[in-house]
Amino acid sequence: MGSLLSIEEQIVAMKATWPMLLPRNVDHHLQSARWVGKVRAQHCWYTIDIRYRLGSMPEVRIISPTLVRLPDNVEGQLPHVYPPADDPTLCLFDPRTGEWNPAMALAQTTVPWTLDWLGCYELWLMTGKWTGGGRHANDPVPASMESVQ
Amino acid sequence: MNTQFAFAGLNPFDDPLDRLLAEIALSIQLPPSLHDKAKGRYDAVRNYLERTVAFQDQIEHFYPQGSMAIDATISNRGTDDEYDLDVVSQLGGRFRSMEPLEILKALESALADYPVQRVRRQTRCVTLYYSDKMHLDVTPALRGYGKPDRESFITHAKGPVPSDDDRLVDMNAFGFVEWYHQMTPLEARMAAEFHRRWRDRDTLSFRAEAEVDDVPDQADFIVKNTATLALQLIKRLRNIVYAGYAGRIPPSVMLSFYAGKAAQPNSSLTAMVIRIAKWIIADIEKASLYGKKLHVANPVCEDDVFTDRWPESVDQQNEFAQHLRNMVKGLDQMRQGEMFPDEMMDWLRGNFGDRVVTRAAENIAGEVGSAIQKSQQLYTRRGGLVIPKPAIVTGVAAAPVSTATVAAARPHTFFGRKI
Repeated sequence: MGSLLSIEEQIVAMKATWPMLLPRNVDHHLQSARWVGKVRAQHCWYTIDIRYRLGSMPEVRIISPTLVRLPDNVEGQLPHVYPPADDPTLCLFDPRTGEWNPAMALAQTTVPWTLDWLGCYELWLMTGKWTGGGRHANDPVPASMESVQ
Repeated sequence: MNTQFAFAGLNPFDDPLDRLLAEIALSIQLPPSLHDKAKGRYDAVRNYLERTVAFQDQIEHFYPQGSMAIDATISNRGTDDEYDLDVVSQLGGRFRSMEPLEILKALESALADYPVQRVRRQTRCVTLYYSDKMHLDVTPALRGYGKPDRESFITHAKGPVPSDDDRLVDMNAFGFVEWYHQMTPLEARMAAEFHRRWRDRDTLSFRAEAEVDDVPDQADFIVKNTATLALQLIKRLRNIVYAGYAGRIPPSVMLSFYAGKAAQPNSSLTAMVIRIAKWIIADIEKASLYGKKLHVANPVCEDDVFTDRWPESVDQQNEFAQHLRNMVKGLDQMRQGEMFPDEMMDWLRGNFGDRVVTRAAENIAGEVGSAIQKSQQLYTRRGGLVIPKPAIVTGVAAAPVSTATVAAARPHTFFGRKI
């Protein structure tokens, strides 16, 4: 892992790549910030909310529109999120795999992964199938991943 | 400058909504295996007829007309996998002195033992029904002397006995096809990408990977431009909204005329569908305003009236205009991102058919999901997800991704819980 990126560095990287995601609640002392803005991964516009504090994992919410649920779907009524059900946050990487660490820019990881999630979510609404891969917490761990844990 | 090669066209698979529509068009397309068979069947029918006593040395021209001639063939009304093709048999000699019904009956009789499932005489043609769900309409025609080449008269006779309604109808299908091609020039990149995907869909025409880069003859592209793809979608919409309707429906040739008039190279597929529809709506509104029926004639033969059998009333044309308005409204909402994906699917199924829309969405979901799993996707500055296409398609240099991208993908694994 490289050196940790400060919140200031994260803000600079975010502004350079995704200028529509505006920083809010920046706290230099706590090294935390929030970014809110609109994106259109495929068909619809979504307002996303990214909250991050150095030392913890980024949290991503879809503020609007309200995410549609598909009751009885094999992937659950809303796949690849963290509870609670009434305020889900997107789960964009497997924390046990080292896919993300605080030396990485949110602009190069969290945002693109959110766009991936939105693309897969829309196609899931269209087809009932989540085709973007991944696994749920209670799924068996693939053999290739066991050595990472 | 040869304008036929001046336009690249927009790849309909680059934009999410265009891609959905293009996938729908792929699903209703004449499959490569049948497309490849069609020309052979024209030749076979002509050869068969020329071996009969009645038609020996009597056929002046034998050529495709209608949708096949302008690359706009789609599955017919009420089906997802049956196709109607048309061929004109321009006759000379002794047929010139025969009545319309006599000519049709002579053709029926000559083809009676043709090796197909069924042979049926219709009002203007004889239809051959092949076991693979292709239907070939053979329309007898007589050259109009003193008129442009291939301007001719086709037979109209319901039968089985002669009636006062029997007549010869002026037509110039050949000239219309030439007009259509002039109005809708080749968009090479768009056509190549669509052609590649169309070929890849048909397992019967599977080719080794090395052959995929072969440059097809541009005349062989299944669809040569966005206007024709848009025309196919409008024809499909017509087939679906009139699926349970017993009467005549807006004729394909009339829709083709509007596609030719409205064609605008380098337009997006969605924009082109909307543009053609608005052109038709405007003409219907204008006619209805004066209480008149829509009148559309062949642009190269004014006596060849495309609307001679539809609309039968002003109400009938208004009904079609309303279907088109609903389509435009829905597509506009989708284009603006104002319709949620699950609503989009309901809307698309209602307008283009359940099975083909489901298949289109599943194809896209499979491709996009696979690209994400392989980290092949790119992102636009506005947050758009871009799935690059293969570097080279059928010998035409692939377009760079049309929108500038700002980030490349990094591998990640969706995780979390099922809530």
